[in-house]
Amino acid sequence: MGKIPASLRQSKLPLSLLKPSPSSSPKPSKNAPNPRLHRNPNRKNLPKTPPLPNKSFFHSPDLPQAIRTFDSLVSSKSFPLNQISQNALLQSFCSISGSSPSDSLSLLRHMSSSSPSFRPDHSSFHILLTHACSQPFDPSPTHIAPVHQVLDLMSSSTYRPNKASIDLAVRALCAAGREDDACRLFERWPAKYSHSPDRFTYNFLVRRLCRTREVSTVYKFIDSVRNSGGPVPDIVTYTILIDCVTQSKNLREATRLLTILNESGFKPDTYLYNTIMKGHCILNQGGEVIEVYRQMKENNVEPDLVTFNTLVFGLSKAGRVSEARNFLDKMAQMGHFPDTVTYTSLMNGMCKKGEALKAVELLKEMESKGCEPNECTYNTLLHGLCKSRDMEKSLELYGVMKEGKMKLESASCAVLMRALCREEKVAEAYEVFDYAVESKSLTDVVAYSALDRSLKWLKKMKGSS
Amino acid sequence: MVVGARLRKAAAENPKKVAGLIDLVNLPSTLRDFVGQSQISQLGCFIKVWSYIKAHKLQDPRNKNVVNCDDKLKSILLGKPRVELLELPNLIKLHFPKVTK
Repeated sequence: MGKIPASLRQSKLPLSLLKPSPSSSPKPSKNAPNPRLHRNPNRKNLPKTPPLPNKSFFHSPDLPQAIRTFDSLVSSKSFPLNQISQNALLQSFCSISGSSPSDSLSLLRHMSSSSPSFRPDHSSFHILLTHACSQPFDPSPTHIAPVHQVLDLMSSSTYRPNKASIDLAVRALCAAGREDDACRLFERWPAKYSHSPDRFTYNFLVRRLCRTREVSTVYKFIDSVRNSGGPVPDIVTYTILIDCVTQSKNLREATRLLTILNESGFKPDTYLYNTIMKGHCILNQGGEVIEVYRQMKENNVEPDLVTFNTLVFGLSKAGRVSEARNFLDKMAQMGHFPDTVTYTSLMNGMCKKGEALKAVELLKEMESKGCEPNECTYNTLLHGLCKSRDMEKSLELYGVMKEGKMKLESASCAVLMRALCREEKVAEAYEVFDYAVESKSLTDVVAYSALDRSLKWLKKMKGSS
Repeated sequence: MVVGARLRKAAAENPKKVAGLIDLVNLPSTLRDFVGQSQISQLGCFIKVWSYIKAHKLQDPRNKNVVNCDDKLKSILLGKPRVELLELPNLIKLHFPKVTK
């Protein structure tokens, strides 16, 4: 035990908190708490990328052909050529797969020379910049050149690169898996363009690095940005870092970061506390969450739904189910109504204690309160019922799941097969195998391994008895 | 959940074991006649045999855990007239080369 329950892996909230192992969930689970990061105000200042014209004008990444198409559009005058529509044309050329950044740059040059109504503006440059940055990774040293070309072109125009430009560039580079290029661009930005990228871009990049690189690389990046006059870590950065180190179960580093955070005079907020709670859960100290909650109240930090879900999860994990249960009422009083995730966490705690029947009662309670159970909930219950050897109820629940075409998770599937084998219902175990494969819950390799394992186990049991 | 974790671990740490299940193998003539292909993986063969059993309703109606083999099935399962489902994976495994450790 002590792993994050498989059955909880796909649910929405605590999972964002109680981070699954990266391999497990197909949905990219959102890193805890920082919705703030996504709201980059720069985006609003940004001249909006105009919507694409309904008809796609360019069909091939071939430059001469694109130029011909553009010229015929200019001469035919059937199409209202204003700034926005011409930017849209540029965008449409860039979005053709296989169009190269140098071609799109040439197209821009051609457009500005042959169409009097077109003057490249921030939008146009940003389209080119994003295009250059989204090129897939290529180890040759010149592959960053198109990005600098666009930036140099911008610098020489009246539309100088601004904070939005670096933000777009960093995000596009990261999306293309070119984090190293993004870091280099970011570090050199303040010196080159005499303004510092903002902290939204900074935190985005830090978070991205935390996910893809070693912690030491992240620290190096933070240091070199600080030295080059860029942004310094703020509370969001620290939250990201703490989240990152607790995921690798590095308690000492997390404590050190917390100390630095306090010394720098940042006031912990709900997100930070949530992250700390999540950390305790990951480090198998589920019981500690209550202490964090106490601190939150002391510092007058308002808990949110995530806080409570983490609390319930942590306490359930530590086996303190009745305390977890009490929080259900407490959170409702504070206006945060328990959701599917809350109930599922609690059920998981109950099942672990072998109180699967109580968990089933809780299912009824949650349904009566209008909270819909999801696949996770059912998988948790199935797992619990099988473990507590309540075959009749397990099969009933399995029937419900089959009717609802719900997917089985590998853990609950394996436990169910094992339970069936225990009663020598081998044919039924085969049937579960069929369902798991048919419903595409598991790959056939995983389903077969589970089946094979249960059968071997049964044979061993038979042999020894 | 422990079992699940172990499974994932097995898949991650023991690629050979997984490969043993899914690698295509050139079949001996007896098996080739049964599956109608010259190559199949151990897993694919298991699924084929199991669906053959289901399609021809070969499970003993009194005890579903036992299969009454027809002649075709007998030819690949050591000629046994009755086979327990419990033994099925092992019997199929016999046709495939052992995973070298």
